[in-house]
Parts: sequence; C-alpha cells; structure tokens
Amino acid sequence: MSRPSARKAAPKGEYIETDSGNKVSRRSAITGTANITLGGKTVIMADVHLRGDLHSTRASTSTSGKEVTPTSISIGRCTVISTGSVIKPPCRVSKGQVHYYPMKIGDNVFVGPNCTISAIQVASYVHVGANVVMHPFVMVKENVKILPNTVIPAHMVIPSGSIVAGRPARVVGEVGEGWGGDRTGAGGGLGVGGGGEKQWLEGGDLRELVRSIK
Amino acid sequence: MAQPFPYTYYSCDCCDSDATAPRAERTSQLPPADDEDARTFDPRSPRANYSLYPLEHLLYCEDCQQIRCPRCVIEETLNWYCPSCLFEVPSSVIKTDGNRCTRNCYNCPVCTSPMTVNSLEDPAKPSPSGGPFILSCPYCHWSTVEIGITLEKHTGITSQLARTANGGKYIPSQKERDKERERRLQLSHRKSRDVLSGSDDSPTVDIDTDPSSMSHEDIFSNLSAFYKSQIAAQTPSYPFSPGHDINFSSPVAYSRLMTIYSPTTSKKRWQEKPAVMRESSGPLEGLIEHDSAADNLAIERLKKEGWASTLTPSQKLAQVSKPDTRFDDSLRPIPALLCTKRGKRCRDCRHILSKPESKITSTRYKIKLVAFNHIPRLSIRALASSPSSTSTTPAPTPTTPSTSTSTSTQAFNYNALKPGIPIPFLLHLLNPLFDPIRVTLATPKFTSGRVQSQVTILCPQFEVGANTDVWDDALTGSALGSVKKGGGPSGGAGGGGGSGGGGELEAGKIWEKGRNWTTVVVEVVPGFLRGIPGFGGSGRSPAATTSHGHGTGNDDDAEELEDAEDEHDAVLEIPVFVRIEYETDAQAEDRSLVDPRGGKGEKVKREEAFWTVVGVGRIQDV
Repeated sequence: MSRPSARKAAPKGEYIETDSGNKVSRRSAITGTANITLGGKTVIMADVHLRGDLHSTRASTSTSGKEVTPTSISIGRCTVISTGSVIKPPCRVSKGQVHYYPMKIGDNVFVGPNCTISAIQVASYVHVGANVVMHPFVMVKENVKILPNTVIPAHMVIPSGSIVAGRPARVVGEVGEGWGGDRTGAGGGLGVGGGGEKQWLEGGDLRELVRSIK
Repeated sequence: MAQPFPYTYYSCDCCDSDATAPRAERTSQLPPADDEDARTFDPRSPRANYSLYPLEHLLYCEDCQQIRCPRCVIEETLNWYCPSCLFEVPSSVIKTDGNRCTRNCYNCPVCTSPMTVNSLEDPAKPSPSGGPFILSCPYCHWSTVEIGITLEKHTGITSQLARTANGGKYIPSQKERDKERERRLQLSHRKSRDVLSGSDDSPTVDIDTDPSSMSHEDIFSNLSAFYKSQIAAQTPSYPFSPGHDINFSSPVAYSRLMTIYSPTTSKKRWQEKPAVMRESSGPLEGLIEHDSAADNLAIERLKKEGWASTLTPSQKLAQVSKPDTRFDDSLRPIPALLCTKRGKRCRDCRHILSKPESKITSTRYKIKLVAFNHIPRLSIRALASSPSSTSTTPAPTPTTPSTSTSTSTQAFNYNALKPGIPIPFLLHLLNPLFDPIRVTLATPKFTSGRVQSQVTILCPQFEVGANTDVWDDALTGSALGSVKKGGGPSGGAGGGGGSGGGGELEAGKIWEKGRNWTTVVVEVVPGFLRGIPGFGGSGRSPAATTSHGHGTGNDDDAEELEDAEDEHDAVLEIPVFVRIEYETDAQAEDRSLVDPRGGKGEKVKREEAFWTVVGVGRIQDV
C-alpha cells in the first residue's frame, strides 16, 4: 500500500504540505497559482487570499521567444501568512491602463492575521502585527517591526531596523541590536525541545514556528 | 507593559550604581552600599520603569562583565541617511544644510505621510516635460495645489520649492535677498541724509518686508547681517593686516590683538569703553514688532472659517521655517528628517559594544555584543499549557504572538489567574555560555504591592549544561537528550488554571533538563484583589492585612483608591534574583591578574548576578 493514491487517503489535515515543505491551508483562497512562488517551509493559513492572477499584463517576450508565466507574488522561506490576510500585488494606472507589478516577500517574515498587503517589497525578518494595511508600493526593509493596526501609506519606504506604528505609519523607534535573537540557531535558540511556550522570537528565525504549525 | 504575558524583563542596575554620577559630593545622601545590595528589587517602584528591559534590548560589556542597557551606553553617529530615499548624506552637508533631506523627499504637513510627485498633465495637450507636477499625499490627499504651488520638473523639488512661495509667488534666493536688503538700507540712509532728493529707483527684486510673511530664516539673516554691520562699524580699521578678515567674533583675531599690543600701551586702549551699539530697528534689520492688526486679522479669519482652517500644535511645530503659523494656507511640505546609524560604547570603559557596517543598505554588524549571548535566558509558562497540548489541537487558531489569550479554551489564560489557588509555573533557564553554570534563584516570599501573592521556587539551586554543539545532543541519542525528573509528561491538558499537570511537584528537584537548559517549577498563589468579607482578608499575607489596616480610619477613600489601583495591582510580576557561577578558560588579561605564570588550561571562576522581573499574568477579580 505504498501507492500515492493510498497515501492520499490518509486523514486530511488542515494543511497541504508540498515537497519543499510549504504548508498551505486547504481553506486558503489562492488565485493564479502559476504566478506565485513559495520559497519553501512557508505557511499559508486559512482564509488567506493570494491574488496571483493580478500579474503584469505587459507583453513579456523572453529571448527564446517562448511565453513565460510572469511571477506576481514571490514569497521566501519560512514565512508565515496568518489567517484572513490578503496579499495583492500593487497596481497603478498609467495612460488609462491598470498595470500590476510583481511583489516580493522575503524570508522569515511573519504577517499577522487580517492584514492587507500591497507592498512592492517586504524584506526578510519583518514582523507585521495584526490588522496592518500596506498600501500599494510600500517598501519595507529588513528587520522591521510593524505594530498592530498600522496603516502604511502608499509609496512609503521603511528603513531597516525601525519600529513603525500609527495611521498613517510613522517610524516610532528602533528594534535595536538584539532583534530576532540569535539567528544562527546553533546557539540553542530559545530552548528547542522543552523550551518555553514561545519557541520563536519576533524577527527571528521562524523555522520552529513553521514546524509547530500542523 | 505592552508585552503579552508571560514575559521576562531584565533589570540593569545602572541607575543604582553611581559610576556615572558625581559621587564625591553626594555620598552623604546615598544609602550605604550594603543596604543597596541587600534590598530586594521592587518591580512596582517608580524607578523600576527605567531599569527593566527585554533581554533583546540589552548589550553586554565583556570588559566590565556587566549588562549594558540603552541608558548606560554612549552612542556615536556613524553616518546620516534619508529614511525615504535611503541615500547617505555626508556630514559636511549636514553642517551646512541641516538634518533634512535635500532631494525629493517630503512629508505631508497635515498627516506626516511621505508625499509623492504626481503629474497634472492635461491628456488633451501633453507638455514636453510631462508637467506640471505637484506633491501630493497618498494618505490624506492634501497636495501642494491647496497652497497654490505647482512644479515644473519632477526632480529637484527642494530647489523648486525654495524658489516658490505659497500661491506661486517667486521667492528670491538668499543672495538676491541680501543684495536687496543692502540696497534698501542704503536707500533709507540716503533718504535720511537728504530728504529733498527724490527717490527715482524702483526695487530690482520684490522682497517681502511684511513681517507676518517673513520666515524665520529671513528674520535671522536680517538680524545677523545687521549685527555684523554693527560690529564692523565698531572695529577700528586695523592697519597691520588689511587683507585679513578680522572681526570681534573670531578668537584668533582676539588673541592676535592681545599679542601684538604690548600690555603697557594697550592698557589704556582696552580699558576704553566701547561705544554702545545700536539695536536693530526694523524688519530689514531683523526686528519684528508685534502687530495688533495681524492679530485682529487672524481673529476675523477664525470667525469666518472656524477651527477647520487652523492647525494642530503638532502640525505647527512640524513646520520648519515658520513654527508660529496659524492657518492651513501657510503650510509647507516638510522635508524628510534624516536618520542615523549609530555605534554604541560602554559608558564605563568606552569599549565598543556594537558597531554596524557603515553602508546604508547593509544590516550587518562589525561588532555586536548582545546580552543574550552572555546571560541565561529566563522564560516562564504555566505548567498546564505545554506546547505538546496546543500542537495536537486540530486546526489551530492562528498563533498570534500579540495575543497570548488564545481563543481555544484549552490554552492557559494568563489574563485570568484565579486568586488563592496555587498555580504551578515552569521557569525555564537557557544557558548561552559554553561552560556549565550553577544557578541560584531567589525571590521574595510575597510579591510587593497591595495584592500579595505567594511565590515558591521549588528548586532554587540547580545546574544548567553547557551550550555545546547541537549535534552532540543528537549523536548521543535523543532519549538521553532530555531527562525528566519531575515525573509524568507535562502534557496535562485542559482544566485551565488547574493545579499540576500530572507529575508530582517535588521540592528540591528540577522538573526537566536538556542539553543547555533546565526547567524548575515555581508555585504561585495569586493574592486576592480585595479582602473577602467574613474571612478577614484570607489569602493575603499577615503583612498585607496589617498594611491594609492602616487605612481603616477612612474606608471610603481607601476603597476608591483601591479601585483605581486595581488594574495595576492585578498584574502579577515576580522579581527573581538570578546568580550564576561558572568556570571558564582564562582570558589573557584574567590570567595575568590571577597568576602571571598561569598555564593555558587555567580555569577562572566567574560569577554573575542580576534581577529579573517575570510577568506571570493578571489576577482575576472574584
């Protein structure tokens, strides 16, 4: 009974796990899967909406002449998108036409529940609190903490190492040297195995969090 | 306390240590040193607010062998950069142009959001440049159209804005303004001299001398020009060095004067009283008189347009050139404030604690001595909620870090601790050092404050293994990796704040132990928020009832006060004193101190002690 069909009959979990370790909830809404890349070990929770269908409509002819599928959303490794969040590539109207731009989300990014993200780039080790709204073309650099209920206006650039809050968002502080804790992992991290309740830190390596989600 | 329960804060004792304070004069006022040491740390004291930090915010000075908090480090700026365009600004530009971005980065004067350049091009008849352009706010939709400014190009916004006043009027440059001021001053001089000669000159540049519309920079430049002219008039023409630019304000000139004039001859000259300088007497000389007509005008405008046209204090203060502006038609876009990259040094020994790479785009550090690599990490959690129990729940609700109170009923609710019932907590100690440490924990028996909760650490002395290679653990077998000593599995699910998770809680024994971590049980009996009538304040310690007894004279007042304080009192925070001892390989300087002939394998005994505050939860009101 080692046929794939038999294995599929195993009790259905909440998540579908891909070969590279991505965990995608069965209750998530993903459109345009061909235009989405997940880096591996990335979690897409229930009720998350990934708008991969909103890709660049400009004629993209590759050098070989073959039609290439444009990437609209690319998400890095060990990134967690919590429930109810919407990831929608940014668009702008130019000469009467709507153009979508590809968006990038880095590694070890935590996106809290019920966020709306239209950023052009969210770099690595970014922690996004609950109910955050990122308007189109926002650029978030590395090691940024965005407090819950923040609204980041369009085209805002958030420099690395800042703490952001408010409506509209302002830089309210700095995360400091210790942000994310010990990311090497070899130093024992937060006590893997028998540790405290939280085995991961905001802005740190999210591998443990991804592993604990089943 | 913004962090969700449970949390741990580390106390930096820099506010107690008087290394930085002027010690000599104040020794009489300070309590004796041994008294400071003997005192238990009180998380409720107002001073504690300034010494408690999460572990991630702390640095560690290896030379002082002490925790360094943001208050006991010195910062030094490495470079400046604009947070919006991420360009580095050289320090010479900072000195001349100030700490604002001189590119195209502007913030909305209404809502502080960064502004974008948009085109107002008419599609019917497109212009070659694509303009005119405006700065507009994508958040509140304020734009420079509202102050009557449009721009010709989409780059060089700063220079364009500097030339354009609100309403689109042309602002002459600083040089032109200086010239015009000179011209006008001369004109007025001439006028005063011969009144009869008719003024036939028309102004070359139209500068605004209306005091209400002058910016602070204008007034300042007028004033400084006036005083410079006054000083120049006072300075005697100096025959020895006609080519040099000498005035009163340069110290070089002064010292040269002192050396050239011999004391005998100069005495008389210098004792001469300098003539009294004239003060400035008009807007051209930087004097702005109070104008009651402008006040009346403002009042009239307020009557007509109401508060909607006025600015909030923060909007006013954000205006760079005119912070005393009142109405929204005088707003200007705010150039973006620059950010800095800073290195940090220990305040005591001046060693570098952290130094980021100077490149703006880099997030790496050249030097980074963070505390979590040197002192053990303490974390606490309720025994009832173990990670294994939460992970088995089907379809886990999103693990939101911001809300520790998960909606699932099985999770332990840290925001509702039941008073009077002993709750076992697990205190987890993680050792980041490469040597095994001996730990001694201490805590006051009752927490401070009005609500006194009883705290017992079942095993206050234990060892934590060294932070060796992770693979040592795996190779020796995972079964040996973690040894449970407290008894049964910690997965005692359900029951909320029940007592015990299955295993017996034995005093003097650790609960669980791993490669470089150890867990001990802490039993907490939360106190009652208010005394229970008829029970005579049961659940409170005798100390609490006696302290409460003082207020029995005016019970009503005390009751009101209690209600106000309840919210704060309900938070259960336990001060825990941590002392660690370990032996480590001696470093070069240590060896020379201990034994100059010491061998390489010499071990040095080290000791460290600090206070932490563990936020356990909030006590439920019954």
